Amino acid sequence: MRKNVRIILSFALSLLVLVAQAQNPKGKYGTFALTNATIQTVTKGIIQNGTVIISNGKITAVGTNVAVPQGAEQIDCKGQWIYPGMIDGGTRLGTVEVSSVARTVDNNEVGDIIPQMKALTAVNPNSALIPVTRVSGVTTVLSAPDGGLLPGTAALINLHGYTPDQMYAGFEGIVMNFPSTGRRGFFDRRTDEEIKKAADKAMEKINDAWEKAIQYHKLDSATKGKGVSYYPEMQALMPVVRGEQLLMIEVDASKDIQSALKWVKEKKVKRVVLMGVQDGWRVADEIAKAGIPVITGPVQAVPSREYDRYDRAYANAGLMKKAGVTVAIRTANAENVRNLPYHAAYAAAYGLGKEEALRAITIVPAEIFGVADKLGSIEVGKSATLFVSDGDPMETKTNIKQVFIDGWQIPMVSRHTQFYDEFLKRDPGVSKTQK
Amino acid sequence: MKKIFSSLFLLALLSPAWAQVQRGNLLIKNGTVITITKGNLENTDVLVKDGKISQIGKGIAAPAGYQVIDATGMHVMPGIIDAHSHIGLSTINEATQPNTAQVWTGDAVDPMDVSIYRALAGGVTISHAMHGSANAIGGQCETIKHRYGTVDAEVMKMEGAPRTIKFALGENPTRVHGEGNSIVPRTRMGVEFVIREAFNEAKEYMQVWDAYNAAKGQKGFRGAPPVYDGRKETIADILKGNIIIHCHSYRADEIYMLLRVCKDFGIKKLVFQHVNEGFKVAPELAEYGAMASVFADWWAYKFEVYYSTAYNAAILTKNGVVTSINSDSEELIRHLYHEAAKTQKYGGLSDEEALALITINPAKQLGIDSRVGSLEVGKEADIAIFKGHPLSTFTIPMITVVDGLVRFDREKDADDQRIYVDPKQVADNATFHEYKHNHDNCLEGAEMTMTKLFGLN
Amino acid sequence: MKRFTFSWMRNFVVLLILVLPVLVFAQDDKPLAPVTRTYAITNVNIIQAPGRKVDMGTVLIKDGIIKSVGKNISIPADAIVIKADSMYVYAGFIDGLSRAGVVKPKEENNRERPKDPGNPTPERAGITPQNDVRNSLDINEKSIEEMRSIGFTTAHVVPYGGMLPGAGSIVLLGGQSADHMVLSPKVSFYSELSPAQRVYPATVIGVMAKFRELYRQASLSKNYETLYASNRNGLERPATDRVLEAFYPVIDKRSPVLFKSEKVLDIQRVLTLQNDLGFTLMLADVKEGWDVIPKIKAANAKTFLSLDLPEEKKEEKKDDKAKKEEKPKSITDLEKEALEKRKADFTAKYTAQPSTFQKAGITFGFSTLSAKSKDIPSNLRRMIAAGLTEDQALAALTTNPAQLLGLSDRLGTIDNGKMANLVISDKPYFNEKAKVRYVFVDGVLYKQEVKEEKKGDKDGKKIEAKGSWSYSTETPQGTNTGKIKLKNDGGTYSGIITSNMSDAETEMKDISLDGNKLSFSFEYKMGTNTVKIDVSLTLDGDSFEGSMAVGTFGSFPMKGTKDPGL
Repeated sequence: MRKNVRIILSFALSLLVLVAQAQNPKGKYGTFALTNATIQTVTKGIIQNGTVIISNGKITAVGTNVAVPQGAEQIDCKGQWIYPGMIDGGTRLGTVEVSSVARTVDNNEVGDIIPQMKALTAVNPNSALIPVTRVSGVTTVLSAPDGGLLPGTAALINLHGYTPDQMYAGFEGIVMNFPSTGRRGFFDRRTDEEIKKAADKAMEKINDAWEKAIQYHKLDSATKGKGVSYYPEMQALMPVVRGEQLLMIEVDASKDIQSALKWVKEKKVKRVVLMGVQDGWRVADEIAKAGIPVITGPVQAVPSREYDRYDRAYANAGLMKKAGVTVAIRTANAENVRNLPYHAAYAAAYGLGKEEALRAITIVPAEIFGVADKLGSIEVGKSATLFVSDGDPMETKTNIKQVFIDGWQIPMVSRHTQFYDEFLKRDPGVSKTQK
Repeated sequence: MKKIFSSLFLLALLSPAWAQVQRGNLLIKNGTVITITKGNLENTDVLVKDGKISQIGKGIAAPAGYQVIDATGMHVMPGIIDAHSHIGLSTINEATQPNTAQVWTGDAVDPMDVSIYRALAGGVTISHAMHGSANAIGGQCETIKHRYGTVDAEVMKMEGAPRTIKFALGENPTRVHGEGNSIVPRTRMGVEFVIREAFNEAKEYMQVWDAYNAAKGQKGFRGAPPVYDGRKETIADILKGNIIIHCHSYRADEIYMLLRVCKDFGIKKLVFQHVNEGFKVAPELAEYGAMASVFADWWAYKFEVYYSTAYNAAILTKNGVVTSINSDSEELIRHLYHEAAKTQKYGGLSDEEALALITINPAKQLGIDSRVGSLEVGKEADIAIFKGHPLSTFTIPMITVVDGLVRFDREKDADDQRIYVDPKQVADNATFHEYKHNHDNCLEGAEMTMTKLFGLN
Repeated sequence: MKRFTFSWMRNFVVLLILVLPVLVFAQDDKPLAPVTRTYAITNVNIIQAPGRKVDMGTVLIKDGIIKSVGKNISIPADAIVIKADSMYVYAGFIDGLSRAGVVKPKEENNRERPKDPGNPTPERAGITPQNDVRNSLDINEKSIEEMRSIGFTTAHVVPYGGMLPGAGSIVLLGGQSADHMVLSPKVSFYSELSPAQRVYPATVIGVMAKFRELYRQASLSKNYETLYASNRNGLERPATDRVLEAFYPVIDKRSPVLFKSEKVLDIQRVLTLQNDLGFTLMLADVKEGWDVIPKIKAANAKTFLSLDLPEEKKEEKKDDKAKKEEKPKSITDLEKEALEKRKADFTAKYTAQPSTFQKAGITFGFSTLSAKSKDIPSNLRRMIAAGLTEDQALAALTTNPAQLLGLSDRLGTIDNGKMANLVISDKPYFNEKAKVRYVFVDGVLYKQEVKEEKKGDKDGKKIEAKGSWSYSTETPQGTNTGKIKLKNDGGTYSGIITSNMSDAETEMKDISLDGNKLSFSFEYKMGTNTVKIDVSLTLDGDSFEGSMAVGTFGSFPMKGTKDPGL
């Protein structure tokens, strides 16, 4: 009798465990010791047979002779690597769910000059796309608005948390779509004059907004904030005018990049980063001279001109780096941000080099966003946002074994893995459908 | 005697004598030869004579006049085959009715599309130039060999490749016809009906014509012929087993639906395309013998792919379905070897299994596996040479050979690979593709037509 | 006084009688019929055919036919002599594909959503092969004059439409009415690879599939009609279909299919259709044919090359100083140079196309469908500079198209018995400064207006209108002479005109001088009637030419010279 009860109990328990695993399990907070690993710190070289201690959300120790604290959960990482969590400097993740269903696309608001639209609070922390992304080691992304000239405020988020505050990674920036003289794709049949006219008109609008923002700033300074009325667009632009916030200029064509550099100089914009820069290699020297960093991508892209060498987009990052530009890499994606390391790999293979490519998806974006004190490398004191893999994350064969975000151990589960579990060996198989 | 009733298959055989295909002689020395079907061979040579692989072994001497490629330290594999593509075509979608079986992309081959060259630069030697997915029954497709450098459209076509046709289920045809113009199909119910109706009507058409043809031979027969209908002729050919159906589909239920329909009409030559939810009906697909051509990891861009998994290819493969990885994109086609490598991450496929997804498997799906898809003596010399293992992300395709001729050489080729130059082109004219809207290219052309036709969007 | 009045009256009455018929019918601008249909063109260099020339000879034409050609030809008394001193006469040019004289239909506003885009009416789909271009011809179309002014006298014209616009005809570029223009009706089945707007076939693959289907349906229907006609008893009657019927002459090989095929892919697709279906093929307005010559030969296709060429970029000349100061070239600069070079090299292929076809041994004509008439002479010169000889160019304009279109028995050369279609230019036609002076179509003379340079002579001679001029006018009853005296007071002109009919001086009114064009009007008082006479003259140094329009009675030529001393 007792034996049966025990059997039943253990069966029930295993069922419980199964059930628990079937639901999306939660992250686990605590103290962890990742031992026997090869640690790619990014900033301070590679440590063999190293240990990383995670505690209270931070990296509290890194090295070969590290004491494991009492009560820490030990994870033996023998034969494995530890990397800082990868940072994608430009995505639509969190605000876009199913791109063809308009009601699920929340990054593109009505209007041209709307810098006050905040991506951060529109992010869906429970998006199905987020777990799919983070189990591949991309832990932090910039979620950026789009459409119009000043589409809004982008936000850097960590891919764990149930509210925007929990996800917020410490950076927000104003996005600008620089007026473009390039064509928008196969269906853009406008004449060259029409395109130029549209670009000129757009530039006027931007300049007008900028002028007003300067006026607003002056008034605000002079009256210590009391003499200005509610003007959300200007309030959003003011920090950029004051040099307190980063302006992220989305620009691709070489002619436009030159115009953008000129504009930045004229307007004396203090903190700028260029985004996209598909044609950056053509004017790399000028970008380097201006000392402005770039976040480029997607790397896996078709060249912008029919007569371009076929690997221009792959080689872009490397060519810019060679000219002295600070380069970070992004996917510009929503549902496949997980491919960030592969974009970096292509940039590496076609000229950037593996070391710089890794930096381009870790410490460089962290520095551009001003969060290098928390993210981008494995150093004591930084946020415990990292992953463990069984090889180079830029190789497709590599599996990510563990992911930590802000000290939380992330469940290695996503919609994709769940389908794999359910359907690898479907039960019932064919038999029940035979007629 | 007018050959009025000749099927296009016969016409392909009677194709004009002026289609001159060039073939080459080549010796590829000392590479790591990945045969796909017979394992990997280190430090091995491949000899190509008149466009065909004539010998694989060690220490082969180069005959006089043969170009020699030193592949020491490099990987030599069969040219990659993309079973779902739209490059090399002047137009993709005849989106004016839900059944356009009579049209044929082979009539619109554009051999000067620079995307073909860029595909060669990614090791791809053959692509399936397909009709778009605007219609439940789309047009016939054409398998093309990337013999880039010619303006002759006939040379691009892979002579003797089996006929194929495009079907499409789900959101695309229902959006274009039902939502766009209130014509059946507007739902998945309607899609099934359109296909069944077409099959039934074609069956009747065949019966009527067969009766006429039989009677015509009789002495003293005087009678009117039935109406000739290009669309029904083609569907009849499908029913006779002369055309392979390649069906754009996503949801498990619609995949299953087509399996039943094909079973009812005795159609066995069936390949599902994209088939993101194929993994949910993998046992049924395997049992029927239907094959699948999938994306490596595209998902969530439409609702019908919201419940997908990147493990799709692995699950299908492990359940015995002949699976390939395709691109449906002039961008993705350039790194199909990388897409195939993703199946090692999502599902742990071995090197052999992963590489088969872009070589012998798509060859089977296009019915050309007796000619290409592996490095074996007697097969056509479509070869891709990589610096580094093809499944490593850091690999670089260096040389691509089609029919024994080098059609891509990274070290020697000029930047500007256009064959014809537009005399009116303004230099500095850049086009930046919207990477922000990741829809499948299948609807290209139809979207524009839709907007113009139906004032949509 | 009495005498004065009488002579005035007499002249007026004579004038009136003579112009009375004209008065009755002269409500519209109907041109006067030619006085005779016999012309002798004398002292002209005759290029009878490419390579066959007669220096300083005579061409005699009568009733629309060339009567004799050569030196020392006796000129009949009833011939109008055209002193073509050292000019050059050629056989009128033949255009392989054009829409000269074809009225363009109004733009169809197809904005309404088609209910069933898969099953449109044939008209909507552009399938109207039964249309006849003759139904859209209009003798007053400006295009006829434009083509004539550069030397074309015959054209193969086709209707507007979609993929199957209809049957083409050979027309003469001149005549009294649309029907009168037509030389040979329904000589071709015209086609384009043009998709329909928003209905099937909306793409080129739809067009190709539809063409094949129609052709096969037409074959079946034709066979059945033949069968039925042999014994109609007991058989279901055939349906008639005007679209399919239009194919019958093509199936019988009595009519060729004329396909507009500009680009290299269009040509190949058309040749594919020809290979599939077996019809006789003519290719026209070919712009990119040089790479598919073997295919064209294999298909036995008759070819008309386009006279349209892409613009040539002018070389920017850099002086030496600028060269020294050149900055080191950026990537973009180098790239731009390479691109421009490729573009120039490729543009050269277009200009060399006729020469390439010539070297391949293909007999080709020209078509003007997409070319602008003002560009055609310079385009021909570019083609000649690229390797085509002048004789070969002339052949492509005359003897070749005559041969290809089956007109060699009556057109293409200047020989006895052929139709009098001629073009006369003041210098050899392919000369840069050559101007067409006279064109004969069907034996009717069309004198070409030679546009003078505006704003003074090229020689720098200032146009001096003021002074005293002696004029003469030709009227049906003889020559009138008189004097014009013009004064210029501070920019305003004034003057008087006199006539040999009286010594009265009549004031000139509404005097205007625009460049070298002088116009004014004056009034004749005849009893109680006042007739307004408008004069318009073109001044050239010391002489002028022009006309005098007498109310509604008609216009008479006028010329004059300046009186010396003023």
